[in-house]
Amino acid sequence: MPPKQPTWREFAVTSILPLAALAIVIGCGVKGAAEKEGSAAQTLTLGAYTTPREAYGRDILPAFATSWRAGAGKAIAFEESYLGSGAQARAIAGGFEADVAALSLEPDIETLASKKLVTHEWRGGAYKGMITNSLVVIGVRAGNPKKITGWNDLAQPGIKVLTPSPKTSGGAMWNAAAVYGAAFLGHIGGRPKGDSAVAEQFLREVLSNVAIMDKGGRESMLTFEQGVGDAIITYENEVLAARDAGQAVDYIIPDATLLIESPAAVVDVYADKHGTRALADAFVEYLTKPEAQRAFAKHGFRPVDAQIAKEYADKFPAVKTPFTIRDLGGWPNVVQQLFAPGGAFERATPTGAK
Amino acid sequence: MSASARPFPNRGAQALRVVVLGYVGLLIILPLVAVLREGVSQGLGGLWHVVSAPAARDAIVLSLWTAAAVAVLNAVAGTATAWVLQRYPLPGKCLMSWIVDVPFAIPTLVTGVMLVLLFGPTRPVGRWFEGHGLPVLFAPPAIILALAFITVPFVVRSVEPVLAELDRTEEEAAATLGASPIRTFWTVIIPALAPSIASGSLQGFARSLAEFGSIVVVSGNIPHKTLTGAVYVFSEVEGGRPHAAAAASLVLLGAAIIATLGARAIAQRTVPVDV
Repeated sequence: MPPKQPTWREFAVTSILPLAALAIVIGCGVKGAAEKEGSAAQTLTLGAYTTPREAYGRDILPAFATSWRAGAGKAIAFEESYLGSGAQARAIAGGFEADVAALSLEPDIETLASKKLVTHEWRGGAYKGMITNSLVVIGVRAGNPKKITGWNDLAQPGIKVLTPSPKTSGGAMWNAAAVYGAAFLGHIGGRPKGDSAVAEQFLREVLSNVAIMDKGGRESMLTFEQGVGDAIITYENEVLAARDAGQAVDYIIPDATLLIESPAAVVDVYADKHGTRALADAFVEYLTKPEAQRAFAKHGFRPVDAQIAKEYADKFPAVKTPFTIRDLGGWPNVVQQLFAPGGAFERATPTGAK
Repeated sequence: MSASARPFPNRGAQALRVVVLGYVGLLIILPLVAVLREGVSQGLGGLWHVVSAPAARDAIVLSLWTAAAVAVLNAVAGTATAWVLQRYPLPGKCLMSWIVDVPFAIPTLVTGVMLVLLFGPTRPVGRWFEGHGLPVLFAPPAIILALAFITVPFVVRSVEPVLAELDRTEEEAAATLGASPIRTFWTVIIPALAPSIASGSLQGFARSLAEFGSIVVVSGNIPHKTLTGAVYVFSEVEGGRPHAAAAASLVLLGAAIIATLGARAIAQRTVPVDV
């Protein structure tokens, strides 16, 4: 019998139907697995940004597990995920079922709130939902050979500056907002206060000295450690972590700089789904307790608890004129004015060939 | 293999066919459709609006010209490498041949890290270049260097087999007729190799447009200067603007598909006609 070519109908039966069946099986399989996870032993899934990874992994999570076991008599396990803050927010919004989100900045928790994943008023409590503070600072080479003393020096010709791109790193928004804000609030010598055009011009001058925009704060610090650049706009905790790791990096705290406030919140929908509500609530509460606050301080974050902050006054020098994102109109306003497409940051990015 | 071979003789073969179709469909076609849909979701005008914005345009142009430069570089250096590997007795040739394939096996992020370690301003090599006024890292040369590293194998592996099959008698005839070695090279060898060189460098071109891992580490990522198309796409994804990301992706994808189709057309044209 001569072999025959299969007809279109045979093709449909042998190819498309099995594919459809396969798709259904896969779909159901995933759902089944997710349901099973919910009824398993208590696992707390933490979706965090990258910077405090060591603080969580080495100190806070083990200490919390110990105290939970002492209190509730049950062992717990953790699943930890660390990504850039914006990426983590999008991952959780896109279906990564974290019970707790600990992110760099308020708008990233707001992303989860707008997706109805965080449904409670997360800005409650003594610290308004924030668990750590830090500062935007200027990292310099050991001994400060370029004699950099403040924001103004970053705009001097010939100074090579590093900062991550706020397009790829939500955390980098702090940096740009600090430079812009210092100028807007009248802290750059000789420039008038309260003029957004002046602030944008100052941002432009600093950005024209930026030779490298790495994709995140940690990458930027690693590039600086490679010997690239004269100064890096970064967070105080990044510099302290680098110094703890033996890097010869100095830093200066500009007279006026932005206070970085980083939040954490229970992701209501997933915590309820996993039956980990009590655990997740307790964990977020624990983050502002003295024990956790000390652990954060040890890893270079300024405590939000004033009492603990006092204990670490030597490690964290006072700032002359700190300002917060609220002084710039709050995050929604800052995101809109600075970082939206066509916003001040994009306009201040030099377009010239040189 | 002729067309009259039994195409689908039994259930086993049919099952295989299903698997293959599903594999290609799920892995390649569905994602392509997804990015296409997102990219044109605001119409062609919307797509153009996004990719003609200065930051996107400059990024895409940078990707196109660096990829083209690397394609030319590969055409010359890759052919020379293939030539040496094929024609010259070389100690350690086996090792050399293996090294050519190494870039395919190295995660490109690692490629970036290697370049930073080599050309960083505190390293001897990097210091030498910087001292001579030629900063390599965080400038277009770094992009070209990374792309060249990653695409080395394309031209070499495409030219080598052709070179191996080349009929030596033609070269001998040319020499007998009095042609100089250089003339023989240009009139006999290069025409025979040209299609494989072109197809290899076009594949390298397409691959270069897609490169992200090494570039994001070595280029500096400054908009309008050193931000490439692929890194721009990443920044739009991270910025939560999927439409802009998809639109720029489509342009890169379009250029890459044209290049690979070109490479295929050239390669097929040179397949000896069936007797």
